[in-house]
Amino acid sequence: MASVKLTGVKKIYDNKVVAVHDFDLEIKDKEFVVFVGPSGCGKSTTLRMIAGLEEISEGTVEIDDVVVNDLQPKDRNIAMVFQNYALYPHMTVYDNIAFSLRLQKLPEDQIYERVTNAAEILGITEYLMRKPRALSGGQRQRVAIGRAMVRDSKVFLMDEPLSNLDAKLRNQMRAEIILLRQKLDTTFIYVTHDQTEAMTLGDRIVIMKDGYIMQVGSPTEVFEKPANLFVAEFIGAPKMNIIKTEVTEEGGRYFVHPFGVKIEVDGEKGELLREKGIKNRKVLLGVRPEHIVLAKDGGIPVTLEVNEMMGSELHLHVYTEDQTRLIVRVPTIDLEKEERENLVGGHRLGITFEGKVMHFFDPETEKNLIF
Amino acid sequence: MSTKGTRTHMGLKARSRISNTVIYVLLVIMSVVWLIPFIFIVLQSFRIESTWQVGYILPQKWGFDNYLALWNTDFKQWYLNTFIIALAVAVLQTIIVLCMSYTLSRFRFKMRGPLMRFMLILGMFPGMLTMIILYRVLKDLGLTQANAVPGLILVYIASSGMGYYVSKGFFDTIPKSLDEAARVDGATRLQVLTKVILPLAKPIVIYTILTAFMAPWGDFVFARYVSFGTSAGMNVAVGMYSWLQQDMISQRYTMFCAGGVIVAIPVTILFMCLQKYYVEGVTGGAVKG
Repeated sequence: MASVKLTGVKKIYDNKVVAVHDFDLEIKDKEFVVFVGPSGCGKSTTLRMIAGLEEISEGTVEIDDVVVNDLQPKDRNIAMVFQNYALYPHMTVYDNIAFSLRLQKLPEDQIYERVTNAAEILGITEYLMRKPRALSGGQRQRVAIGRAMVRDSKVFLMDEPLSNLDAKLRNQMRAEIILLRQKLDTTFIYVTHDQTEAMTLGDRIVIMKDGYIMQVGSPTEVFEKPANLFVAEFIGAPKMNIIKTEVTEEGGRYFVHPFGVKIEVDGEKGELLREKGIKNRKVLLGVRPEHIVLAKDGGIPVTLEVNEMMGSELHLHVYTEDQTRLIVRVPTIDLEKEERENLVGGHRLGITFEGKVMHFFDPETEKNLIF
Repeated sequence: MSTKGTRTHMGLKARSRISNTVIYVLLVIMSVVWLIPFIFIVLQSFRIESTWQVGYILPQKWGFDNYLALWNTDFKQWYLNTFIIALAVAVLQTIIVLCMSYTLSRFRFKMRGPLMRFMLILGMFPGMLTMIILYRVLKDLGLTQANAVPGLILVYIASSGMGYYVSKGFFDTIPKSLDEAARVDGATRLQVLTKVILPLAKPIVIYTILTAFMAPWGDFVFARYVSFGTSAGMNVAVGMYSWLQQDMISQRYTMFCAGGVIVAIPVTILFMCLQKYYVEGVTGGAVKG
């Protein structure tokens, strides 16, 4: 259990490529922080710098207020789970889990107790005498987690631990990681490129792009108040619709004009526009697919291109008259059978959305204008 | 239809049987030709009616006299010398090669690339080129003639780091995340090598030991040069060569054959026990690397 503090951390490779720029973050004791971003954004590099597997070019990493920049991984008291499990193929599951304890020269009876205990929590007791190659992906991942668990380390690092698993198993393991976290009650740093994992697991999410931190916040914060266009589009699936339009003010009321249709920005969002003095200017308007509704009559006229049936909801890919493509999420239950059957390619329909679901971004800086 | 099908099938079978027969006959002939010198030496070593060459192959009188006589000569000393050299070189060279390969496979440091290229080019020059200067150096160090054994060990292991290619290629195929996992688990670099990498690289370790043992075991040129006529510093190859001199050969010819058989025994046993790994080692690095 420990806090982790990164101050001005930078990673510059030999070929002068900067993988991570001035990374500042304070992770509290027992916090679960997720680094998320597209591949190449520097999230794994940052994690590896915390682990000591990657040299820190500039800045400092502190674990429990001790600068660990020059400490070997073995001296940092961390545990790590790797994407490809990294189990030792020549050892049995038992020996794999016991490896770190044997290096610590613990007495065998203590090792036995800890290994069997971890195996029980993870449900792998019956595989203890098997070699890793005789295990399925999910079982291997459990062994990898077990290996990290037995160590009583200060910080638990996970580098895309679920990305090698199939979708169903991933969901299951995600739930298990949440349970594991409750049991271990330690500091977690988790790296993923999957925003769903980030949203469901993290107390706080660090969204990264090209080596820069885009936003740090709780799942609700980054979803409801994305700091910029990148975060807005990255978090949430399908991604947020972005519409070029402008904000106008008429007698104290605020309006946007997507595709020539005038929609009032009412409620809290309208207040915020007033506070920030945003009026009569071009903006990028963001609306999440689930916040768009099919208009009974009127609305923005669009043509349906593809209708994806997802079970509980439909993902409608539509395009407007100026060929802008948008995605609309409609709960299946909201539609009559007849309506549903009408939703085929080429079908014309109207869409609309309310003021409270709108996000406003600066077309130049791509920053959120109201948060 | 079915008759025709069967006939075609039979034809194929017969054809493959004929080609197999031809291949096996050829292989048998080749092995016999290849084995003749060995069989010849073994037979000569058991011949006791004369110590000089004869005009026939099968001995008229059989016995162990030649083998027993070996122990009244310097052969014991030469054999011991050879064994000490080969063993020391096998141990030291294996350690050096494996450490070198691990370093080049896992560490990224300045001049790593140039160093590897430099060693590649250096390795293209025949070792013989260095013979004169090596002799000079060893002589100045007092490691020639009677002290040839440590001298030779030094010569054999001196450049052994350059033989890293095969094992580095093998190490490269072992995922780096295993090293990283072990380091996070609390292992030092040396523990990573001994507890994780080497157990996974067993074939290459055995291949390295075998090749390191074999080279000095059969060496003649360097050994002769460094021992320079002093019996106490000779290895078997050099020592037994002296029996083939004109004044000796008539009495020592069959003993020479017996010595040859004894020299071949340890290597043969080593190979028979470890050939599985040897093949894996030779092909493993190449295919995966």
